[in-house]
Amino acid sequence: MKSTDLDRIEVNPKTMPKRTNPLANVFDDLVRFCRSRSMFMLHYCTGCGAIELPPAMTSRFDMERLGIQPMVTPRQADILLITGYVSIKTLKRVILTYEQMGSPKYVIGICSCTVNGGMYWQSYATAKKLDEYMPVDLYIAGCMPRPEAVIEGLQQLMDKIKNDQANSWKQYYENYDYYLGNQQKLFGNNWQTPTDVIGEAEIYRLMGPQTLGEHTKILQQVQKPMEPLEMKL
Amino acid sequence: MANSILLTILEVILMPLVAFIVGLFMVLMMRKLAAKLQRRVGPPLFQPLYDIVKLYGKQTQISHGLIHDIGIIMAVGGYVAAEALLPVPGMDGIAAKGGLVTLAYLMMVPSLGLALGVGQCANPNGSIGISRALTAMLAYDIPFIIVIFGVAYHFGSTNLVSIIATQQAEGIAGWGISEMPILAIAGLFALHASLGKQPFEIYIAPAEIATGPMVEMGGKFLGGLFVMQTFQLYTASVLYVSLFLGGGENWVTFLIKCFAVLAIPVLIAYLFPRYRTEDLIRLVWKWPVMLALLGVAFVMN
Repeated sequence: MKSTDLDRIEVNPKTMPKRTNPLANVFDDLVRFCRSRSMFMLHYCTGCGAIELPPAMTSRFDMERLGIQPMVTPRQADILLITGYVSIKTLKRVILTYEQMGSPKYVIGICSCTVNGGMYWQSYATAKKLDEYMPVDLYIAGCMPRPEAVIEGLQQLMDKIKNDQANSWKQYYENYDYYLGNQQKLFGNNWQTPTDVIGEAEIYRLMGPQTLGEHTKILQQVQKPMEPLEMKL
Repeated sequence: MANSILLTILEVILMPLVAFIVGLFMVLMMRKLAAKLQRRVGPPLFQPLYDIVKLYGKQTQISHGLIHDIGIIMAVGGYVAAEALLPVPGMDGIAAKGGLVTLAYLMMVPSLGLALGVGQCANPNGSIGISRALTAMLAYDIPFIIVIFGVAYHFGSTNLVSIIATQQAEGIAGWGISEMPILAIAGLFALHASLGKQPFEIYIAPAEIATGPMVEMGGKFLGGLFVMQTFQLYTASVLYVSLFLGGGENWVTFLIKCFAVLAIPVLIAYLFPRYRTEDLIRLVWKWPVMLALLGVAFVMN
């Protein structure tokens, strides 16, 4: 996308077409209820999270009775569970993963490492606050929180989804400039992901005044179009 | 005449719907049994439905192309067509005109549809998964076809309606399982392999190839595959019940038989890890094929 294209994008959010179906609200409630009762989670576990989270899934605490089950690819998942510190190198992968998930998507930061860096506060290689790089729905503090706390947190997320309050995935589109700016601060100005977030924001009708800005301008200057990989035997 | 055509059309519409609802409970039973084996509580009653509604409610603007979309429709459609050929108590649909050979053919369509669809998403895990799925199909289809041949030879017909009628006329002594026990064992083996559960789970393998064919499927695509799974469980168990357990006299005995047949492979599945591809082919081409051939020899004698 050239920089001149920037002016052609309508910045004001288009309003959604008015819904005429009288059952639309009932249907929305049903979908929200099903969303809250069926959450597929993708866990990005580093360090202690990889050890402390399995008890929450297996026999003793059994997440499946709440409809939560682990999935293996971002496309299938609803929740991105980030337990433990994210180093600058792995944060790139976390962002790639997050952008590939289908909406609505939820991010849960577990452990104090995702809240403020935790014991890695002084490390030069660790991203301190997760919510500077992607919107986080819920933090579960602790070092490391016990399975009871994890399940309590997931139940709070279920309530938020049921009450239509877990909308932070929309913030990523509405405030993309802010998140991209923080990402560029860490990874340099050449940073780009394969996902066209601005294009997605247009399709979701989530273009806000904060979506485009100086950082997206830099992105559009350096962005190389995605090309299919060369087939080689 | 017109009345009977209308009735047939109604049955053809109703049979996949019934299959879907029964299939949802089969998925639930499978997950509950797995939970009980692992000493967990397991999912609530409507969990399979929640999953499907949620997946269809997800938003995505990712497209892997037209063939990818058509592949999912083929995968679900193959089974929907198969349901119309599977007689259930009170509804025969077009079973009398289709027969076993058409049914065996239709049951291969979903795998081929998936192969078409997954081929376009260009994910290496998906390609590995689908090549494994087709290899597994090659493995379990051989004992499956031999078993079907044996049963058809024994009853002198490939018409499922008349096979069921013959078995029901003679009572339990006339059921396929009491007249052809060796074929019934081979059939159960092939059924287990066709479900793609452990230890024959080579093409899903979440820890190894990230669920293989499903790797790029999110939202509605994955929802389609969840719907396909309900049909898959239903088709496999109903076919086995029709061939060996005398079909259904009424809905109560029919459903009890179906769920009992499905419970056997499921109970075995969650106790095992996974075979490698070549081990699976070696195993499936050796034991069930040998058993099935022995069973056919007894039947033809």
